[in-house]
Amino acid sequence: MLTRPKLSGGSTLFAVSFGRVGKDGVVSPPLPPMVDVRGLHVRFGEVEAVAGIDLQAYAGQATALLGRNGAGKSTTMRVLAGVVPPSAGTVLVAGHDVRTETLRAKQAVGYCPDVGGLVPRATPWEHLQLSARLRRMDDWETPARDLLERFELGDVAHRVTAGFSHGMGRRLSVILAALHAPDVLLLDEPFDGVDPIGVEATFDVISDARARGACVLVSTHLRELAVQACTTVSVLRGGSAVATVPSGEMAGEEGARAYRGLLD
Amino acid sequence: MPIAVSSTRALADVGHLVRFRAGSLRRRRLSAGAMVGFVVVSLAVAVLPGLFPDAGADDGWALDLLLLLPTMLTGFLALAIVSATASGGGRELIARDPGSIHPISPTTDHLGALLLVPLNIAWLLQAWTLVGVTSYALGTDAALPQAQLIVVLWLLATTAVAQVVAWTIEVVRRVRHGIAWVRGIGVALLGVAVALHLTANLVPVFDRLPTRWFVVGMVSDSAPRTALTAVVLLVAFLAATALGAVPAHLAAHRPPRDEQDVETGHYAARGRPRSELTALVRTDRASVWRAVPMRRGVAVLALAPGLVALAGGLPWEQLTILPGLVGSGGALLWGVNAWCLDGRGGLWRESLPVPPGVVFDARAYVLAEFLLVASLVTVALGAVRAGVPSVAELTALLCTVVVVTVQVVAAGLRWSEQRPFAVDLRSARATPAPPVVMVGYSARLALSTTLTGLTFSVLARVPEWQVSVLVAVPFLAWSTARLLRTRRLWVDPVARARVVTAVAV
Repeated sequence: MLTRPKLSGGSTLFAVSFGRVGKDGVVSPPLPPMVDVRGLHVRFGEVEAVAGIDLQAYAGQATALLGRNGAGKSTTMRVLAGVVPPSAGTVLVAGHDVRTETLRAKQAVGYCPDVGGLVPRATPWEHLQLSARLRRMDDWETPARDLLERFELGDVAHRVTAGFSHGMGRRLSVILAALHAPDVLLLDEPFDGVDPIGVEATFDVISDARARGACVLVSTHLRELAVQACTTVSVLRGGSAVATVPSGEMAGEEGARAYRGLLD
Repeated sequence: MPIAVSSTRALADVGHLVRFRAGSLRRRRLSAGAMVGFVVVSLAVAVLPGLFPDAGADDGWALDLLLLLPTMLTGFLALAIVSATASGGGRELIARDPGSIHPISPTTDHLGALLLVPLNIAWLLQAWTLVGVTSYALGTDAALPQAQLIVVLWLLATTAVAQVVAWTIEVVRRVRHGIAWVRGIGVALLGVAVALHLTANLVPVFDRLPTRWFVVGMVSDSAPRTALTAVVLLVAFLAATALGAVPAHLAAHRPPRDEQDVETGHYAARGRPRSELTALVRTDRASVWRAVPMRRGVAVLALAPGLVALAGGLPWEQLTILPGLVGSGGALLWGVNAWCLDGRGGLWRESLPVPPGVVFDARAYVLAEFLLVASLVTVALGAVRAGVPSVAELTALLCTVVVVTVQVVAAGLRWSEQRPFAVDLRSARATPAPPVVMVGYSARLALSTTLTGLTFSVLARVPEWQVSVLVAVPFLAWSTARLLRTRRLWVDPVARARVVTAVAV
């Protein structure tokens, strides 16, 4: 059994990677990752969108995926959501291989896509009802109403989403991802164009998910929000993961410099 | 800005947009081939019917068609108006959302819409019919070239006039209570037509149509008379082209009320769906029936051919042509790019835990239902004056409806899988694929469904009803096999991801 008497800045990363730290400073055997990506490649014709990403994320943790446009963040999220199949590599979500147990993996995932994510001529309530029906949820109406109120969308629950602003659409996408309290919550650009109240509500969703033991992945360009919301940050560049560090190391001016250094 | 400068700039902008669209064509050789094909077919239609043995005769079909020409010219104008009105002022050179970042004036938009009109198969077939009928009616007469010139000018002038009418109606639709006004006017016009028919005045009205003046100009021996006809049409074309910019500007400054009604309306929650399929069908139905272009399009498709059949008193064996026409038109509203219904919601929908085969079944079911509703309304209207059908006639018609529906669903979903496009079907002017692609789809659909309709039209005359059923079986088997092949492709995650990510851009 490993012991590590002094854990400071890198404690979370260390614990996430090698084991859990008890109150007595003893590191117990690690839990299996909820998201386990090894050697992921995704090719679209001649273009390699993801070039060998390795990523592990754990229950009760929130991991931010940071990187420039085209770094492979959204494609990785789509693979984890079961939307895009991997070209090579293994991807396990909640213990299910997304290639062979796609439906089980989808059952475990709540996904907020990066673009839109809403059927234009369906209402928020109809989106929620469809999701609940396909996931065999019985008591979904109360949590659905609660989420709509928290994200201030209760008044428009029965209007089609084609008339929504960008921020309203983002907020509803987060609600749809969170409704069924998934084991793995995937939020791709959840803060994009969202007002402060929506950002706060999204923070709450992430906190609640972590508290109940879910694994959260957040892809975003907004480094400061990622640092606030997440425990770990993975930086992607050119389709590969170049660093995984505790989110505290990406905070403030120093974090910004470190981040820029990783992007170049 | 002075009108002349504005018009010049608008014309130049149309050129820029055309070049932009042409530059985005993926199959340039195919497009160039299609252009050559269009010219060859047009020339063939203009010349070949005139070489038939009885062409240009002073009696028989040639004379009948010559006498019908004024009515056909009017019919073309009516079709052009209905088509342009249904599409909210015509098609767009560049879709509204991507176009909104460019300074595209309503005049440019109007000219672009006018330019795209011939890329509508209904317009094209009617135009070729007019040209071909003129050729057959006149034969190798020396007047044929001048007559064809007049016909071409008629096509140009009436298309431009139709555009003016369509923009004007669009302006009215966008004022307060405008939609009610337009519907009221439509019902009133229908009432007038019915009244004329019931009082046996419809044919006399057709005989007194002012379009006779143009037909006289076509066949006149007097060069000045023909020249006058040509000049009148040319002036009408130029004037209508210029005038169309006025209502186009007025419409552009008013928000589309029907879209607003859809987007601000309240849709009451419904009970829990009984099954996964029901849940998906319900979502797909909402996507179809809440879309302005689909609602307008299907209303025109269901009513217009049915009313023409009603007015013309088509017999049962000829009604078999209608389901193919309506089915093809219905598929062209969204069925040829069926996955675009989800728009950007496609990514989220794809993340839901449901077998992809069920998703495919729901989409195929909703498309078939959409086509069947339109076809059955058309057939019901056409049946009003067709009398009591024989069992063989009724069987042939039912077989046509079923075969054509499966045929069109199979083709539409196959193309949807092969060539997905990211399209926002929010506006009445939106089409599910780029204009050039739409021409290809519509030509292929028109050919296959017309042949099917003609086959069953012949079978309707066979006394034994079983023959129609026997012939329908291989048709259905072929289309079903193609549909199932597309379903297998859809179930493949790589193929499906390509479609979903393409439409969700």
